Amino acid sequence: MNSKEILKLEYTALKIRRNILRLIRAGEAGHVGGALSSVEIVTALYFNLLNVDPSNPKWPQRDRFVLSAGHKCLVLYAALAERGFFNVSILDTYGALDSPIPGHPNMHKLPGIETNTGALGHGLSIAGGMALGLRMDKSQSRVYVLMGDGELAEGSNWEAASAASMHKLENLIVFVDRNKLQISGPTIEVMSYEPLDERWRSFGWSVRIIDGHNLESIISNVKQAPFEKGKPSVIIADTLKSKGLSFAEGKVSYHYWKAKPEEMEQAELDLDNIEKQLKAKMERIGL
Amino acid sequence: MINELKDPRKTFGEAVLEAAGSNHNIVVLSADSSSGSGLADFLKKFPERHFEFGIMEQGVIGFASGLATTGKIPVFAAIAPFVTARPFEMFRNDLGYMNQNVKVVGRCAGLTYDQLGSTHHSIDDIAIIRTIPGVTVINPGDPVTIKKAVHAMIDHVGPCYMKIGNLKMPVLYPEDVNFRLGKGIVMKDGHDVALIGTGTVLSKAVGAARLLEQEGVSVRLIDIHTIKPLDRELILSTAKEIGKIVTVEEHFIAGGLGSAIAEICSQECPVKMKMIGIGDHYASNGPYEELLGKYGLQPDQIKETIIKFLKNK
Repeated sequence: MNSKEILKLEYTALKIRRNILRLIRAGEAGHVGGALSSVEIVTALYFNLLNVDPSNPKWPQRDRFVLSAGHKCLVLYAALAERGFFNVSILDTYGALDSPIPGHPNMHKLPGIETNTGALGHGLSIAGGMALGLRMDKSQSRVYVLMGDGELAEGSNWEAASAASMHKLENLIVFVDRNKLQISGPTIEVMSYEPLDERWRSFGWSVRIIDGHNLESIISNVKQAPFEKGKPSVIIADTLKSKGLSFAEGKVSYHYWKAKPEEMEQAELDLDNIEKQLKAKMERIGL
Repeated sequence: MINELKDPRKTFGEAVLEAAGSNHNIVVLSADSSSGSGLADFLKKFPERHFEFGIMEQGVIGFASGLATTGKIPVFAAIAPFVTARPFEMFRNDLGYMNQNVKVVGRCAGLTYDQLGSTHHSIDDIAIIRTIPGVTVINPGDPVTIKKAVHAMIDHVGPCYMKIGNLKMPVLYPEDVNFRLGKGIVMKDGHDVALIGTGTVLSKAVGAARLLEQEGVSVRLIDIHTIKPLDRELILSTAKEIGKIVTVEEHFIAGGLGSAIAEICSQECPVKMKMIGIGDHYASNGPYEELLGKYGLQPDQIKETIIKFLKNK
């Protein structure tokens, strides 16, 4: 990818962060920390990697995206709206009675949502079933999963990890958003998963560790998957929780954010600053 | 042939194999459970449509959900408590909430894993699974209806739970019995009391009805093989016409067939009811017929309970 393409994607990531703020403004609160830490992963997927068609969301040949960590739904809604799966104004209904965008995603309410997640430890096995079914159909489609790192304490994930490797699901690509924090504190203090790469390897997966905010790295690594023949791939993406909000980055208390007005103001300023920097870069390269 | 004893698991497996011959979307998932579920022949005939997972029922339900999104019709059969109570959240979220076309079959259900004890009994599965919106719950009472239920649940689009037993059970119906999901079968008409049975103890209800008739009690005998959706029409017309209902099930009284019927009758046509089943305690262990006797589920015991019920005005 050239630098122009990367910069355009960075600008899209900013728009997704703005959409996340829009959701929080509507609902007054939400799981913002893990949504913001995974913005680049989701941007790379929906604006580069995923073979999807917003005008035909059930297209059988599409790639699938399973948000196993359903509480990160703000980033999914933000990206789907930006990608044209539904009108951006739907984001303003967040928190309202009967809103099509609940606090955890519901596939029956909006196009583009593949699974009903929210209870942790479900997504990987559902995605494994999708990958198995697609392989039976000799489909070229891939299945992508986004998991949280706190979620990895759920034992059901490791059932699914065993099965995906036993069944050689090389069309399955998992991102672990390793932002290292969960609601009670640092994940390795709450329930350690380290050494995480060795753990996945021991389950028969092919593992890479990348900077989860580096769009170029995310895309180039995914394009090399499967990393090993006959194995499912996992990308451990090191990220910063609440990435983009100066007052919240790396703070456990922003796992779920009840936005105070002054914080919302600061959040807008933070994103304005990111925009200024991006625009300056874009000007320099003639975008 | 009526009264011939047949193995429910073998019957189930044969029906799945038969359905899979014409429906190529059927896949079988095993949690180290296919051979014990009558599905060994499926593995032999369709190895490319059979997936082994080992003992991971939570994972299997999730995989089944994902497979269903690609148009497959997963059939997952294993020991009943391990496909219901253990992966309940996966059943609720991945199958129910996602409305996936998956067929879960709990075998060796009820008390049929007699001496293996309470971890292996499944006398709460109807109660818990019928709370999940959109899930069809089927509890056939003889080999003929097991076979018909398999075909009906494959034809039905949506999540299903079916329970079957383990021990050989008598044929109660002719091959051409009219079986439709959600429609009870009136096995015999009568006017003094309605006796409604389901599943593995349907034959005991049949036996009790015969004994009652010998004593001059006229029994309307009904097989409710589909617990959900319940046949409201038949339940309400029976309540109105007869006014006395006795239910018989190899299940906790809490949340089972009797509860489901009472939920309708208490609100729309209150009638006297007696529910025969297992109370609020873990069932004991021992030979199956003796266990049923311990819980009042043998025909002569059901008959006595009904006679007392009818005398108690």
